[in-house]
Amino acid sequence: MLFNSFQFIIFFVLVLALNQPLKRWPMAQKMMLLAASYYFYGQWQWHYVLLLWFSTIVDYTIGLRMARTRHPRRLVAISVIVNLGFLAIFKYANWLIDTLNFGAAAAGSAFHITPLDVLLPVGISFYTFQSLSYTIDVYRGVLPPRKNLLDYALAVAFFPQIEAGPIVRAREFLAELDGDMHVAFDDVKRALVLIAFGYVKKLVFADNLALIADPVFDHPAAHGFWDSLLAVYAFAFQIYCDFSGYTDIAIGCALLLGIRFPQNFNYPYAAQSIQDFWRRWHMTLSRWLRDYLYIPLGGNRKGRARTYANLMTTMLLGGLWHGASWNFVIWGGLHGAYLSFERAVLGRWRWWNADHPAAAALRVVVTFHLVCFAWIFFRAREFSHSSVMLANLSHPSLATFHAGEHGGTALLVSALLVAQLIGAYLHYKDRIAASRGPLLALALAAAILAVIWFSPATTAPFIYFQF
Amino acid sequence: MLRILLILLAPLLLLLMLEAAFEIGIWEPLAQPMSHAGTSVRLKRALSDPAIPRIDYVTIGSSRPEYGIDHAMLAATARQVGRVHANLAMPGSHWLTIGLLSEWLQRAHPEVRGGIIALSIQDLINPGNGSYELGIVQPFRHLGDIDEVTAHVDFNRNDVATYAIYSALFGWRADIREFVRHPYARRKTINWFNANRPASITLFENPESHGDMCAFGLDALSACDKVEASTDPERDGLKRQCKELRGGAASRPDFASLRQQHPLPDFMQRTRDVVQAQLRSTPWPEPPLVVLMPVPRIWTHDVLGPGLHEWALAILAPLADEGRIQLIDATGFFDADGAAECSAFFDFYHQNALGRERFMRWLLPQVQRFLHHAESSPPIPIERKPLRP
Repeated sequence: MLFNSFQFIIFFVLVLALNQPLKRWPMAQKMMLLAASYYFYGQWQWHYVLLLWFSTIVDYTIGLRMARTRHPRRLVAISVIVNLGFLAIFKYANWLIDTLNFGAAAAGSAFHITPLDVLLPVGISFYTFQSLSYTIDVYRGVLPPRKNLLDYALAVAFFPQIEAGPIVRAREFLAELDGDMHVAFDDVKRALVLIAFGYVKKLVFADNLALIADPVFDHPAAHGFWDSLLAVYAFAFQIYCDFSGYTDIAIGCALLLGIRFPQNFNYPYAAQSIQDFWRRWHMTLSRWLRDYLYIPLGGNRKGRARTYANLMTTMLLGGLWHGASWNFVIWGGLHGAYLSFERAVLGRWRWWNADHPAAAALRVVVTFHLVCFAWIFFRAREFSHSSVMLANLSHPSLATFHAGEHGGTALLVSALLVAQLIGAYLHYKDRIAASRGPLLALALAAAILAVIWFSPATTAPFIYFQF
Repeated sequence: MLRILLILLAPLLLLLMLEAAFEIGIWEPLAQPMSHAGTSVRLKRALSDPAIPRIDYVTIGSSRPEYGIDHAMLAATARQVGRVHANLAMPGSHWLTIGLLSEWLQRAHPEVRGGIIALSIQDLINPGNGSYELGIVQPFRHLGDIDEVTAHVDFNRNDVATYAIYSALFGWRADIREFVRHPYARRKTINWFNANRPASITLFENPESHGDMCAFGLDALSACDKVEASTDPERDGLKRQCKELRGGAASRPDFASLRQQHPLPDFMQRTRDVVQAQLRSTPWPEPPLVVLMPVPRIWTHDVLGPGLHEWALAILAPLADEGRIQLIDATGFFDADGAAECSAFFDFYHQNALGRERFMRWLLPQVQRFLHHAESSPPIPIERKPLRP
């Protein structure tokens, strides 16, 4: 079930209507939310709900047993193997098989493995990380094992987050369940603003930007420099609006049900460095990778060479988390290289780090373009397509710019970048949510109107569903 | 709880106010003059022009009569007997437009006595012309006509254009999107039309048409092979029409056998009932003159379903027998010309000036007899003016 479908709107209104009277009976409320979550998830492929149950039961049991065993390390290892094993089977097995088959064919060997006939379960990357955070935190002793299966099952399956995040750690979610799940008037205002802005980001911006980016990325050989450049910029904002739009709707829906999710985006294109970018982009994934991968690997505590290696490992795996493709590995590798270069070189350049508006503007522009460069590999369907895009971009020519053809897109992406920079200072969403009635009503009406008038006739699924 | 309800209701109230503003035509001065809705707005404004105090007769119909009937000639011959005959034919008009436009006319010009309703046999396949006719009728609509609209156009949850059935905000969606993309071009076009298209031209002149189809022929679908082989960008319009022709040829319902079914297939029953009910309730004192416009042979031979012509007559003939309409069937008007038919059309749908002239020589006496109630007189030469910016 997609957030941008009528089905979801009706479903969510029903859940809200049931949630309110059930607040007096927390157990019944949680049971209703869990049933709704399984129904929501099962709408896509009902039998993958069984996979979700299995994963839930395994981690729940491991959590309970860890408190009683003298070998918790073995149990957490089982949890990691089971969770990542599912991920490996459903997400990476065919990629590995294809790579092996390709390598064998290139070497002239008749070796061939038949690919598995499996469909990637929606949200598996997200709920696997959420579930793993539970067993690892229990192992580390920062979270007591949850005895109530209902609470834990809800933490894994809660419908606003299950398909594409944000990656809410079990301890954050369980803490919310332990609270009173009260929804204050200010929460309702904030949730409505988030949901409205989320739909505008997705249906108005992301879906229209896709109409610019998709034809170029799908057939790069048929396009030249300006088409390709503007398609890269368009995709940069498409993926931001798509993913952060989804997140805004998820956070807003959860808030209306009394659950506070962590922030996931904070104007990432206003970042002044790649490190800053990762503090603003998919913040819950960055935190997860930092706390459960980068720091356990040693972080920056074991010398320079090891720090760079850890950064690279973390970002390569982060890239691979997005999808089973060499393009995602390159994307992650680029970010790992950027982060290492920043730490090794840029950190020492005084002029680069100067506290001056011109230096800050330069840092924003350079960071934005480094991120855009990496998006080429992220978006290209095949490696050959990214090569063609790079070839297109290596022949800049002012003469081929046609105002009628390219002017509108150039203006749009420029306006979106400026909006990011202004938003990073003004935090207009928070201001609107905190405003009094008339301004809020006007903003919500404007958002609905924007969706009515400017959403394309057909809408695409959220990009991050495929991960 | 009350505060939450207020927060939820306030934006909806604002949207309702905006919806009402769009219903009463706040966007009409900004509409793209050459779009479907914009053409309707131009007509509406022309019909409301104080320089046109009275209208006796109108011609309503699709682009086929827009190009195929000599409106300047009709206006001039009506003028000879002291009457005013205005052209309201618009591209894309179908039965929904005919219904809502004639009702709007009844409110704005109750003095209208009758008119020509000109379509083609193709327009008797379905009761509506799809969701894009909603754009055409938007300026003529009012809040109470939803039932009438849904009789012609089905609501489809997955087709956002059909949301215009219920909301003017959706009705103007395409126009507003285009305005945001090209605001300066819109301003220029509107200014051009305001300066160069007074009501007299909009209502009493003919559109321009150039060329003929003799390079391709109009006899058979093989004409499209030649069109599609052409690399001339000027032929892009014809290529689009060929796509429609081929689409039609791929699914030709056999109306002759469908008519034998009991009960009739749903779409045929619906079309018959809607069209007959509409023509029976035409709000004019005089019965309308229904003209089935000439259709090139490529349509009747290769594209339209066999038996469609007879089906169209089966819908209309009972109304003629009842005296509710005067029926003129010109479907095969150019058939007798053989190879010369191609010289009468400038594309696969529309007659050119020569085709219009030949057709009017035959049609005008009948219009004069049935509508203007005048003795037939020779056609009056008309000064031609260009109609496109």
